[in-house]
Amino acid sequence: MAKIERAQKLFLKALKEKFAGDVSDVKTEFYNFNDLQQSPRKKEFIEASKKVEKDRGMSMYDPYRCHLGGLPMGQRQLMTYEVSTTGTFVEGDDLHFVNNPAMQQFWDDIRRTIIVSMDLAHNTLQKRLGKEITPETINEYLHILNHAMPGAAVVQEHMVETHPSVVDDCYVKVFTGDSDLADQLEKQFVIDVNKLFPAKQAAELNAAVGKSLWQAIHIPTIVSRTCDGGTTSRWSAMQIGMSFITAYRMCAGEAAVADLSFAAKHAGVIQMASHLPARRARGPNEPGGIQFGHFADMIQTDRTHPNDPAKASLEVVGAGTMLFDQIWLGSYMSGGVGFTQYATAAYTDNILDEYTYYGMDYIKDKYGVDWQNPSPKDKVKPTQEVVNDIAGEVTLNAMEQYEQFPTLMEDHFGGSQRAGVIAAASGLSTAIATGNSNAGLNGWYLSMLMHKEGWSRLGFFGYDLQDQCGSTNSLSVRPDEGCIGEFRGPNYPNYAMNVGHQGEYAAIVGSAHYSRGDGCSLSPLIKITFADPALPFDFSEPRREFAKGATRQFVAKGERTLLMPAK
Amino acid sequence: MAYTPQYGPGSSVVAENRRKQMNPSISLQKMRDVTDEDIVLILGHRAPGQAYPTAHPPLAEQGEPDCPIRKIVTPTPGAAAGDRVRYIQFADSMFNAPCQPYQRTYTEAYRFRGIDPGTLSGRQIVECRERDLEKYSQELINTNLFDPALTGIRGATVHGHSLRLAEDGMMFDMLQRCKLEGGVVNYVKNQIGEPLDKKVNVGKPQDAAWLKANTTMFHSLVGTSYRSDEEYVEYIKRIHSLRTKYGFMPVE
Repeated sequence: MAKIERAQKLFLKALKEKFAGDVSDVKTEFYNFNDLQQSPRKKEFIEASKKVEKDRGMSMYDPYRCHLGGLPMGQRQLMTYEVSTTGTFVEGDDLHFVNNPAMQQFWDDIRRTIIVSMDLAHNTLQKRLGKEITPETINEYLHILNHAMPGAAVVQEHMVETHPSVVDDCYVKVFTGDSDLADQLEKQFVIDVNKLFPAKQAAELNAAVGKSLWQAIHIPTIVSRTCDGGTTSRWSAMQIGMSFITAYRMCAGEAAVADLSFAAKHAGVIQMASHLPARRARGPNEPGGIQFGHFADMIQTDRTHPNDPAKASLEVVGAGTMLFDQIWLGSYMSGGVGFTQYATAAYTDNILDEYTYYGMDYIKDKYGVDWQNPSPKDKVKPTQEVVNDIAGEVTLNAMEQYEQFPTLMEDHFGGSQRAGVIAAASGLSTAIATGNSNAGLNGWYLSMLMHKEGWSRLGFFGYDLQDQCGSTNSLSVRPDEGCIGEFRGPNYPNYAMNVGHQGEYAAIVGSAHYSRGDGCSLSPLIKITFADPALPFDFSEPRREFAKGATRQFVAKGERTLLMPAK
Repeated sequence: MAYTPQYGPGSSVVAENRRKQMNPSISLQKMRDVTDEDIVLILGHRAPGQAYPTAHPPLAEQGEPDCPIRKIVTPTPGAAAGDRVRYIQFADSMFNAPCQPYQRTYTEAYRFRGIDPGTLSGRQIVECRERDLEKYSQELINTNLFDPALTGIRGATVHGHSLRLAEDGMMFDMLQRCKLEGGVVNYVKNQIGEPLDKKVNVGKPQDAAWLKANTTMFHSLVGTSYRSDEEYVEYIKRIHSLRTKYGFMPVE
């Protein structure tokens, strides 16, 4: 283990933008920033609150009275943040999911998605009822389904229906590994694997899917927001059943319909997330049930940037910390509003990016890993010594960067922020070098122990509990204790507690596969479904999308203003 | 064979300082003389001279059950008197403050009885019976565990441990509970931020050389590089490797 030279400091531009003076200085000025008035966003909040108070006749946002008995924030500089690699500087408030419609849409697009096999239904129609299935009948069925799925009637008289303009994000496409079949289906309904994926990934995915035909279904955003993730399979199954009845002229009450319903609701359904134990009180398609391998497949950067597994992984970190920290642990489980501050550290100011690319330089320099040409061939055997070497060096380098640039430490002012970022870079570097997700997770835990001993601190009261005992479970893969990283998720016993871990774990899992150039991390079906360019949220560039949301340039779906009186 | 604690690995001055602070057979260095009354003011739990509020009657009066553990463990004075459990909480600057969060917890666990420490990145709290707390606080404030500029006594709003220092060398404190005045640091608010009727002088900040020589945190810019203590780094890797292998296949 020896430090290597790296000229780039990807975070420097952001630090210079954020902080006046020399970013290497140890000293600065405080208490003279005119408190909240230094922040345009906070000033906007104050003005907005005045209007709200006037309208409703009740007090609201009042930091000059309510914060610390009259002492408002802003005794130090209230920093802006660059959403990493976007060049877009935003205020921290703009990255709270309540203030960011792109973040909401990201989660909406996952929760409202369901993947349903067509093969089981086709078997029922052909073998049980003697119906003929042809590309033409499939096309007709898809026309009907795209009429019905948003909430329109197909069989009965005198039915209520939904307004197309408030459910315009609802649709169904199909995909298959059978290129001949795909060619015979209408282009508007097909997710074209060969066109969307690099050739090697497409070949792997096509082989994995084979001749099966799958429906990628996105129910209306407004439905899943009003109900929950458990609604998605139910809503889709009802419309699928009615569409089959119409397309194949079935009797609405015949017994074979039950087979179609069972296939659409259970047997042929791929949920984006499994339902959670009763104590978590969440159904399927809620964040806590997303396996890390599946989440790594939802993010598409390895498809659009196949030669940069580091970037692909960093996009997973950004998306994952937003979903798992800000929305899942922050709001679903905790109810707090402060989780944003932890999560954003991992996807702002190019800090994690710098530490990770240091790791890339290191594994190339020391182990000859050509990480920009992903392949299983040059991966390093994941021995304990290799894990310790890579994770140890990346950790030491990251700690030294924080020390050498005091403004960098000030940027990540909380220990949990630093811990998550340092360990993520260590885990990603290890996983990319070895192509092994559990080796990456093990690197994470070495990083945590080294960090804690070096600075005699780590995260907050409960944050680092899992990190101090994590070495032991990272390679425990007995069925009654755990499993490999791809199948772990936010509700894995040792991971279910604290902010600043789950998004990074998902990225470590994904990075192992991105570095090998694999077609997917766990599910070819999910990988293909989220490649669809028609989705409102672009899953290949989550951080860019979040930046658009922060600067109020993102147009979300599921809006209902059409139905309300104009103000 | 009796167990002899080693108090941690490492060949650097940081490692040695950690061992010295933890080892109860080594006396902490007396650095200042903040009075009992002034410590009560900073803590803010009771007024100086006020009787200790109690959570239960003195143990001698309430009739203890016949319990073998209670026969082994002698109550601390605060527990015997039935005092409330109260706290002191510190924020330690990462720029060479003499004590640091986990180091505090380990040190307190070796040196004090009847305590409940909690360790975070930006603060460390220790809770115990009130009169015990005041006694322990004397050691925590008047010795080489404390620096007036870089160690903050903060019950809430602790933000500052990782920030750059102010031009006068003080660690940032949003509430400015203490100020550098005429070369000495005066507390003008108690640890929870309530104004004090009189200032509490906690003395002169240590100079950079003393801080570098006495800190218990590695820092490659202002102190001792972690990387340079190879023994320490190798020790962590060994612990991690052993834990990993035992988790994979739990055999000796």
